[in-house]
Formats: sequence, structure tokens, C-alpha cells
Amino acid sequence: MPEIMIEISDLTRNYGSTKALDSIGFQVQRGEVMGFLGPNGAGKTTAMRILAGILAPTEGSVHVAGLDMIANPVAARAKIGFLPESPPVYDEMTVREYLTYLAGLRRVPRARLRGAVEHTMDRCGLKHVADRLLRNLSKGYQQRAGIAQAIVHSPEVVILDEPTVGLDPIQIREIRQLVRELGGEHSVLLSTHILPEVRMTCNRVAVINQGRIVANDTLEGLEQKAASSGSFFIRWLRPPDPELLRQVPGVACIQEKQGGWTITPCKGEDPIPELVHRSAAQAWDLRELVPTGESLEEIFLHLTTREEDGETSAVETSREVLS
Amino acid sequence: MRAIGTIALRELRSMFLSPLAWTLLAVLFAITAYMFMAAVFNYQVKLVQFQSYGEVGKLSLTDWTIAPMLGNAAVMLLLIIPMVTMRLFAEEKRRGTWAAIASSPLAPMEIILGKYLGLLLFLAITVSLLSLPTFLLFFFGKPDLGQLLSGLLGLFLLAASFGAVGLAASSATDNPIVAALAAFGLLLLLWVAAWMGEAGGSGVGLLLGYLSITGHYQNFLTGVVSSTDLVYFLLLAATGLLFARQRLMAERIRG
Repeated sequence: MPEIMIEISDLTRNYGSTKALDSIGFQVQRGEVMGFLGPNGAGKTTAMRILAGILAPTEGSVHVAGLDMIANPVAARAKIGFLPESPPVYDEMTVREYLTYLAGLRRVPRARLRGAVEHTMDRCGLKHVADRLLRNLSKGYQQRAGIAQAIVHSPEVVILDEPTVGLDPIQIREIRQLVRELGGEHSVLLSTHILPEVRMTCNRVAVINQGRIVANDTLEGLEQKAASSGSFFIRWLRPPDPELLRQVPGVACIQEKQGGWTITPCKGEDPIPELVHRSAAQAWDLRELVPTGESLEEIFLHLTTREEDGETSAVETSREVLS
Repeated sequence: MRAIGTIALRELRSMFLSPLAWTLLAVLFAITAYMFMAAVFNYQVKLVQFQSYGEVGKLSLTDWTIAPMLGNAAVMLLLIIPMVTMRLFAEEKRRGTWAAIASSPLAPMEIILGKYLGLLLFLAITVSLLSLPTFLLFFFGKPDLGQLLSGLLGLFLLAASFGAVGLAASSATDNPIVAALAAFGLLLLLWVAAWMGEAGGSGVGLLLGYLSITGHYQNFLTGVVSSTDLVYFLLLAATGLLFARQRLMAERIRG
């Protein structure tokens, strides 16, 4: 019987007149690692700060391990561990002092304090730097210390905001390994704008764009959807203006690729006959038409790129996602 | 309760781990000690003058040495305490460590009291250090111990209320310099509030007189510990702490 550890519903957050979150909702089960995916500025950090009890929502409800974060924030915060975008480390403290301090604030009983700190340092690979000042540690170790403070009190829910940003590839691999290990024991919500990271660490993924949840599924579910999306690759000798392609009825999303276009149709529609007809009538000179299905990247682009954003932003987003 | 102690000890430690606290204490001690010495020499000159009129008995050692020294120390604290308190919240917000505190299971008042208690310990150390030279007088004369203790109590209460005002200013910004300036401005305004007292007519004048720090502090220096003055400093401190609490709660909502 899976237990719901994070439950967010109808969550809205306004900053003045800007809507950072627009009525989002999702659940995370016990032991699950949930990827929270979206382009920069989509509202990930706002949602995570609300979950961590640092920010109050404008509307909606947040429950952590069954406790209401808005009505009962002190008790609910005891159930979470939070790593913000930049590791919240005190320069002048050693790793051991730092973890002991925060474990104390998170109400770890005095008798278990020492054990909890040592165990956490072990888990995060911090043992050999335990007595060094945080200011003298590399970004990777500071990040580990940041993760360590999020789990030192064995919270049931761990919230990690972009834990691998700014790390080198080896550090990234180690952090991802650690995150995978955290699932099972803790429920983890991990935000990122890097797709492979989701593939490597998460069971489920929620995609957020412009303050709304645009997809919420298991990784397999998303990939299945991708395969059955009916996308195809099409190439002409004299390709038309992309605007003309977008106007073809049934075309949802187009993307330039290897001299041609990958086209995703709208749900349940088939633009191929119309495209073939037009290419013959207007002498675009059709050379290639291959069914492809969508890659995860394309799904993501498709979900997070709106028509009015146009081509440039699609290209920018794809660069970001694929980097 | 435990969290309050944990935060207080970390604050105190972190003050002494940075050169700031040491520098402030050294500067404060050197200057007040110099002022004290000047007051003692001044007393000697006055003593010679009074002797020639045969009125030595009217010249109080405590009034002429300890009181002016503690009076000057208060002015120094007006300048220095905002520099001690500016980091309390502003620095944590600027460095991002605030997220680790704010996501901990703590009520806003627990965080505030923890930081304030740490600050009070530092201020207690400061006042004790400043009082050291005055005790030298006991080797050479008969200063009024009661008046000295009343003065030191006054100085500590003054420092404690200044600290609460500084803490409030720090809670309102993520820029330590802005916090220091705001605290200094507020304290200076309270310091000079009575200057308008005579022009303000009887009602407003009385109010401004009551709001002013100087009058209340002066009473402690003359050896008078009255509940009016005690309440004044406690109220000022409580106002600062409650303002900070309001700020922290509003911040969750405003973002």
C-alpha cells in the first residue's frame, strides 16, 4: 500500500501581478524519486520553497507526510530536508560542526546527535573532510554538505533544488548515485532542467512550464507516449517557409533537423495527406517521409514550447535541456 | 528551548571566529579606557581647585570619573552595536544559509530569541570588559559601588535594547550595510528625541522626553534605578524583537 508523502493541490503563487505557479498539483509516494523538470524560470524553485515551508502559497494546500504545511508549519517542517539552489553552508564552520548544528535545530535527540552526524557524513562521502572548514572545500564538497544537512535528521521527504548544477562530471555522477540511494528510504523530489538526470535518477517525472504542470507520469509512461505520438521526419528538396508548415491543419509542433523537419501531429489527427498534397501542388519536391516517434527531449520541447514562442526559444530550450 | 540555546551559542562563536568582534572590542576598550583616564586626570585638576575653596567634600569621585566614562561608552555603543547586529539576519539571507534555518522546524520567535540571546552574551562580555578600568579606582579612593553597579546595569540594558533595534533592522533587509545604517539612524533619533522636548509644548514634550534614551540612561548613571527606566529599555527591546517576528512572518507571504 503506497503512502502519499507529498501532496500538493491547486497550488498558486503570485508575486505581485505575476503568476509564478498557476494551480499546480501532484503527489509523491513513499520511497519514490520524483523528477521535477522544467526550463529555467518555470516555477520549480518557487514550488520547492513552498514545499520547504519557506514561502507561503497564495492559494492551495501542501501536505507533507500527512501534515498541513500551511496550518502547522513547524511540525510539517520536521518531516522535510531541503537543499536550496546554492548550498546553505557557513564558511567559518567545519563540516562536522555544521551538521551537528543543523541536526540540533532539526531536533535530533541529543543522545543520537553524534551518531546521526557521523552516519550522514559516511553516506555523503564527507568523512575525510569532516574537520575542514567549509570555506576551504570545493563546490562539489560544499554541495555534498548541503545534501548532508538535508538528510541529517532522517526526514521522510527530501527536496533537492538542482543538486548537480555547477559540478564537474565526476561529482555529478556521485551526486546522482547518492540521490538514487536516497529513494527507497526517503521520498525525494528533485528539480532539474537536465533530462538525462531525470532518466538516471527518477521513477516519476512532473514537467512544469510557465507555472503549470504539463505532464506527470512515470518515465516509461512518457516514453510510451513518445513512441505512439505519430511523429514523423519529412524532407523536401525545396523546403517551404516553416510558418506555412505550422499552418497545415493537424500539425502541433515542428522542429528543424538534419535538413528536414520533425513534425508532431495534434492528438488524433493526421496531417500527412495534406502535407503530401501541398508539396505536390506547390512543388516543394518531397524526398523523404519516415515515421519516428518522439524522443524524450522532443516530448519535453513539445510540452514546454508554445507556438507563440517561435523557433528561437525552442532552439534555446533544446540547447539547455540537452547540455 | 534547546534550539534557542543552540542558535545562541553558534552566534556567539561565529562572532569570535571573525575578526569583527575582536576589533570592535579592542577599539571600544582602548577608547573608553582612554576617556576614563582623561576623566580621572580631570578629577585631579578639579580636586586642586575645590581644595582652594575648601569644598573637597562636595566633589564626588564617582560622578566625575565613572559616570562620564559610562556616558561616553553609551555613545560608542550607539556607533558600534549596529555593526555587531547587522549580520544577524541580513548575512544569512545574503549567503543563502537562511534557507537551512527557515526550513527547520522552528517558530520565528525561537530563531529570533536564539540570535538575541547570543547577542546578549556578547554584550555582557562587552560591558564586563568596559567596566574593568573602573574597578582600579577602588585601589586609590572610595567610589560609590552602588552607583557603579547601577551605571553598569544601565549600560547593559541600553546595549540590550540597542541590540534588539539592530536585530529588527537586520531582519528587514538582506544587505548588512543597510541594516547597520537603519539601526544607527533609529538609535540616533531616539537619542536626540528630547531635543525637541521644550519646543513641543507640555504633552508632546513629555512624550518626546519619555521616548528619548538619554534621560533614562542618565538616571542609572546617578545611581537611581527606577521602574520607569527599566520598563523603557525592556519595552524598546521587546518592540525590536516583535518587529523582527513580524518581518519574518511577512517574508513568507511576500517572498
